[in-house]
Amino acid sequence: MSGSRRSFLVGSGLAGASLLWPRREVWAGPPPSRVPAPTVAPAAADASARMLGESRLLRDEALASAAVAAAQQAGASHVDVRLGFLRREQLSVRDDHVSNVGLREEYGLGVRVLADGGWGFAATARLDSKSVTTAAREAVAMARRSALLMPAPVVLAAASVVRGGWVSPLQIDPFAVAMADKVELLLAAARAAMAVKGVGHVDASLLCIREEKLLLTGDGSRVHQICFRVMPGLTATAIDRRRGRFASRDHEVAPMLAGYEHVTASDLVGGAAQVGEEALRKLHAAPVEPGRKQVILAPSNLWLTIHESIGHSTELDRALGWEANFAGTSFLTPDKLGKLKIGSDRVQIVADRTQPGGLATVAWDDEAVAAQRWPLVKDGVFVGWQTTRDLAAAAGEERSRGCLYADSYASVPFPRMPNVSLQPGPDDYTTEDLINATDDGILISGRGSWSIDQQRYNFQFGGQFFWEIKKGRLTRPLRDVAYQANTVEFWNSCDMLGGAGSYRLGGTIGDGKGEPQQSNAVSHGCPPARFTVNVLNTGGGGGGSGT
Amino acid sequence: MTLGRSEAQALIKAALKAATLKDVSVRVSSSRSANLRFAGNAPTTSGQAERVEVSVTATREKASATVSGSAQDAAGVAALVARAEALAAIAPQDPEHMPPLGPQRYLKVAGEDPGTVKLGPDARTDAVARVLKVARDGKLVAAGLFEHVHRSMALGTSAGLFAYHGETEASLTTTMRTPDGSGSGWGGAMSHRAVDIDAAAVARRAADKAEMSRGGGPALAPGAYTVVLEAQAVADLLGFLIGSLGARAADEGRSFFSRPGGSAIGEALFGPQIRLHSDPADPRHPSTPIAGDGLPLEQTVWVDQGKLLAQSCSRFWAQKQGRAPLPGPRSLFMAGGNASVAELVRGVQSGVLITRLWYNRMLDPRQILVTGLTRDGTFRIEGGRLVGPVKNMRYNESPAALLKQVLALGVPERVVEGGMLYVVPPLVVDGFRFASVSDAV
Repeated sequence: MSGSRRSFLVGSGLAGASLLWPRREVWAGPPPSRVPAPTVAPAAADASARMLGESRLLRDEALASAAVAAAQQAGASHVDVRLGFLRREQLSVRDDHVSNVGLREEYGLGVRVLADGGWGFAATARLDSKSVTTAAREAVAMARRSALLMPAPVVLAAASVVRGGWVSPLQIDPFAVAMADKVELLLAAARAAMAVKGVGHVDASLLCIREEKLLLTGDGSRVHQICFRVMPGLTATAIDRRRGRFASRDHEVAPMLAGYEHVTASDLVGGAAQVGEEALRKLHAAPVEPGRKQVILAPSNLWLTIHESIGHSTELDRALGWEANFAGTSFLTPDKLGKLKIGSDRVQIVADRTQPGGLATVAWDDEAVAAQRWPLVKDGVFVGWQTTRDLAAAAGEERSRGCLYADSYASVPFPRMPNVSLQPGPDDYTTEDLINATDDGILISGRGSWSIDQQRYNFQFGGQFFWEIKKGRLTRPLRDVAYQANTVEFWNSCDMLGGAGSYRLGGTIGDGKGEPQQSNAVSHGCPPARFTVNVLNTGGGGGGSGT
Repeated sequence: MTLGRSEAQALIKAALKAATLKDVSVRVSSSRSANLRFAGNAPTTSGQAERVEVSVTATREKASATVSGSAQDAAGVAALVARAEALAAIAPQDPEHMPPLGPQRYLKVAGEDPGTVKLGPDARTDAVARVLKVARDGKLVAAGLFEHVHRSMALGTSAGLFAYHGETEASLTTTMRTPDGSGSGWGGAMSHRAVDIDAAAVARRAADKAEMSRGGGPALAPGAYTVVLEAQAVADLLGFLIGSLGARAADEGRSFFSRPGGSAIGEALFGPQIRLHSDPADPRHPSTPIAGDGLPLEQTVWVDQGKLLAQSCSRFWAQKQGRAPLPGPRSLFMAGGNASVAELVRGVQSGVLITRLWYNRMLDPRQILVTGLTRDGTFRIEGGRLVGPVKNMRYNESPAALLKQVLALGVPERVVEGGMLYVVPPLVVDGFRFASVSDAV
């Protein structure tokens, strides 16, 4: 097969068909290799000691201690207090001008308690001694009232007492880069895309997030962490007014737990012309012929399918019905652990909160449990759950997997998804190898529309760009493509995986779950992989066909 | 710590006093919210949160920057102003920036219900206890959420605008499932008055549907069906149409409402019974009279007798096109009829009842084509009767197409949606397109 590698570019006569995927270094580190879970935190940023030492949260640590003491005095059997400081800087550019420069900060304290076996939580942005002790007492009062309706008390799995600090690895603090430089980068990228004839609009954006938490628990843990996340974006829209059609193309760069070096490495300016050209090409692409087909899903598309079909279905709280009123339950249930063949033999999926660059990577979770790496699907069999301290027993485990997270000081922490990734195959295949081995199919890349049912069986996903594959060659771009499948059938149809060299991270900073809804940042790594699915045409008139 | 008018105004005055630039606007948002979640017939989490956010936008020669933080006194807001002005000094110009709004007149809206302002943890446990009783009596498993919020938003500008709106909101939703997981039903209610929420009635609706769907049903063949969409499902779909009402996207050729050389204003796009309007001052369902940019939200008729009458238009786009600005709606009322859902079902020979829709996503904005799935109460209708559950289905359908195919309309009701207030009727619609079967319950 290696003899025909890359020949598809020549064979198709489409010299511009290079794939708009980030270079490998862009996802900030080697594939995960640490098994079993490390007992110490992942390597921190060099500047971590200084950043933690200069933190404004330290000035309010005494208030957090006072809240712990007030809750205990009011009768809490467990208490954890979080000081949370969130900073988000959003820059947006439209065509040739800046459309938004925004900096948002949020700071406050939240107290979570167990009293009489029930949970209570109260949060305040007023950081004075009276406000935080009142919050602590109100949380206890609330917990006692909830407990009256509970048939059995909440039981927490054992956890070690830990004291530590960690700053997510970064080379350049994104908040230390001059605003003018960031804006010029976005404007330059927009200009380069606008220079493509036929491109009508370009949106470029950069979101930088600094999330800092200082957690104190009643049993003596103290964890101080700062995470940096950056999300560059570029979208070109081509408009054909005569035919009343338009098409948008996103750059496929992923958000990352990293510093500004990720923005630089993603080279928005260098990729902009291609983004513009591909928007045009989408406008003139041929409508897809629906039917049962093989698809090769690039990592920039497959990450979201992993997220929705495996990431959410292996959340134990969902399987137990805790999310039944909103996000839903799961087709996976405790009796299927170790038994259900969820995918083909080559499907290996791991949960990993230690993965370099992963948006859900931390050193400890929001109840001071150390970050871990563990299998969810082994040789195609469902073998693991995501848990927190109050879920471990239901999984038949003695310790939490460390998945507790709150998106704000004012949000109740609850189980959230770790990075969940499909492991590369053993054969070192490239994307080209997968294409060459496919007789009739579609190569799908980028994130399009997505939708999945509340038990994670039936899904329908779009994409950003679609190449028709005939006899091992990319032939022409297609449009109006969506693929629909059942989760178990989909993963069992997986018959080819790219190798370690083709593994990439994708991710989102807006994974919604819970009531009131909270947002989680999470990454999913994967190689390109081949599946058999039901391909729909979502274009005009038919409204989608096929079964 | 929901800030009252005078407290919010004091913060805004302090900010404007600290400002050195001529174009500054300040938004003060605050809330006190609380909730009790439950699942497996027991509370899971309960919580309350007090939030305040001051957001300052400073502009210098069309270069703007916005800085937000949880400041609560004059010194705190002055610091935000200083940072916003410093950022504005280095921000590039935005040719679309509009000068700050001066004083405006707003509709009088009584959005704060005193009883809901005072609600405490006992009211939450009482409501949830009622739901749990219905679930236990029916041998069902309930999950859900009771929540309430008291919030205020104030806006002030250096051009003399001051606007303030306070409101309350309460909601209860529950999903009940049979212990074997074969059946599921949903019920919900939302109002600015917590006292309007009848927890037992919401619970019974969910329980009846769970009971009726116990054991599961057959799969329907994909294809076009006559459906009864309950009001919740109607709102789930309608949101995509409302989101497409912007004039700019239409003028730029990016919208369903785009037309060569113009827009679809005045066109009869939907059935003659279709009327959509907004009204912040509706006495039974009040909502904010202040748009995000400070423009007044007025009573607006968007669609009447099936004809598109209005498109939302930003201040910038309005100026550029020489027309009046019109903020997008924050409330949507759809005219209906007198029939209950049961009466609508009686009029259907063969079809499907849909309780609510889930994971709805835009597929194609040119058609407003949306995909999603039915959930928590999908039943076959034969001869005007619900004859049993069917498997959930994925649909690929356009609300714009559906509004052309309406056969009957029921009594409008307030549904549970965040961000926008919907009072819409259940509908009987012809030719609703199901694309594939879901095994999810």
